[in-house]
Amino acid sequence: MLPHPEFAAMLLADGRLPVGGHTQSAGLEPALLGGLEPRDIPDLITTRLRTVVLVDAGTAVVARHRTMAGLPLDDVQLAWAARTPSEVVRAASIAVGRGQRRLAQRLWPGSAAASALAPLRAPARPVAVGSMAAAAGLDGARTARLVAYDDVQSLCAAALKLCPLDPAETTEWLLHAGPGVEAVVVAVAHLTEPDGIPALSAPLLEQWQHAHPTHPRRLFSA
Amino acid sequence: MPDTTRETSRAFRLGVAGPVGTGKSSLIAMVCRELGDELQLGVITNDIYTDEDARMLRAAGVLDPDRIRAVETGACPHTAIRDDVSANLLAVEDLEADFAPLDLVMVESGGDNLTATFSPALVDAQVFVLDVAGGGDVVRKGGPGISRADLLVVNKTDLAPYVGVDADLMLREGQDARDGRPVIGLSRTDPDSVAELRAWVLAMVASHRDGHHVPVDPGPMAPHSHAGDGARAHSHVHDGGDGVHAH
Ligand SMILES: Nc1nc2c(ncn2[C@@H]2O[C@H](COP(=O)(O)OP(=O)(O)OP(=O)(O)O)[C@@H](O)[C@H]2O)c(=O)[nH]1
Ligand SMILES: [Mg+2]
Repeated sequence: MLPHPEFAAMLLADGRLPVGGHTQSAGLEPALLGGLEPRDIPDLITTRLRTVVLVDAGTAVVARHRTMAGLPLDDVQLAWAARTPSEVVRAASIAVGRGQRRLAQRLWPGSAAASALAPLRAPARPVAVGSMAAAAGLDGARTARLVAYDDVQSLCAAALKLCPLDPAETTEWLLHAGPGVEAVVVAVAHLTEPDGIPALSAPLLEQWQHAHPTHPRRLFSA
Repeated sequence: MPDTTRETSRAFRLGVAGPVGTGKSSLIAMVCRELGDELQLGVITNDIYTDEDARMLRAAGVLDPDRIRAVETGACPHTAIRDDVSANLLAVEDLEADFAPLDLVMVESGGDNLTATFSPALVDAQVFVLDVAGGGDVVRKGGPGISRADLLVVNKTDLAPYVGVDADLMLREGQDARDGRPVIGLSRTDPDSVAELRAWVLAMVASHRDGHHVPVDPGPMAPHSHAGDGARAHSHVHDGGDGVHAH
């Protein structure tokens, strides 16, 4: 039996979900090391929601649709990879995608998601999340919201480790990101085809992330 | 190949935890030096801020540098070995797959406080490392690692006279706190103690191979009463994550 969709969405959005998400900062640490001023972090959130998050949320929505339809996920993964130019960024996403797949197979063994994810060598995070969303019974809108919310909350949680901040302030950022998250939902929730996944890029953010492994002192893997 | 169907030769996975600077990396280097000729080894480090430990171990020249991998923990060394072991589990499995068959993979936790212990979903057994320089009363303060890790090491016994600590007393108190579980007073300058550590590791690897070894969870961060512990550790073994394989 499927969990209630609200319940399922909360479960999957929990920052403590054991998929390795805590090892990443949604691009914040790379940005700070690249010279972003802490006061500009809310702008970074906005920029991500308008660019890379649209790519990931769109990928997840299409992966969800494909999983429900019993179709393979390879071309969803390829479409995502084509829109994620840095191999460093792809590797970071895949690191969590593998954790996400492991959990999906544990929570929903024998599901369409488990079979769709199994043949992939190493699923990207949004591909695994989208497929898992299918198993959990989320619709396209909830899937997109999950990906966008998770990006912002990961960044906010990481900010507390990286900058001197009042935790209430980062929670405020998250709250204020609500409309931006809903804009992502509106833009991608209906997608069904890999070709329809938005193809936006944020070159400076990607460059910062691409350089991350070369920094000698870092807390996060991405 | 998908992660969860990889059944390729699972190594004995040994966690090494303990406070900062007590000698976790040194102990791992020691095991590599002592057993590198007879066992196929791999090492995962969990640094908090750098890949210092991985680099130090590679520089020690005791193991092929490719067999030493660093995992970033997002400033949460506890989480990475206990609440969400995903990143470490994948690193261990990748190492096992890339260098199959490995006999032993050691995972060093990011140096932290007294309460950090490994999840049984990540390791088969764990060593908790203290040192005499941390003070003679650390053992009495206790914690799940001190009381119930598979092995308690009191390291740097050679320093005891210089820091005003009675190493023998510390070892006795360690034994008292552990209900007969093993304690080794270790120093790299004391060959007998090194031999003792070597023998313990070999015995654990052998017991894992024979299928006799059953992982026991030292328990969560807050110490529990003794009555509850046995049952608790047991249930963890059986309902553990897909990283736990009863052999
Ligand atoms: N005197 C003495 N020093 C030792 C011994 N073992 C380790 N040390 C020293 O203790 C210091 C810390 O050792 P590490 O092995 O780096 O300790 P660690 O627990 O890995 O440290 P973190 O990873 O930073 O938490 C180093 O300077 C070692 O040389 C020993 O047996 N005797
Ligand atoms: Mg170390």
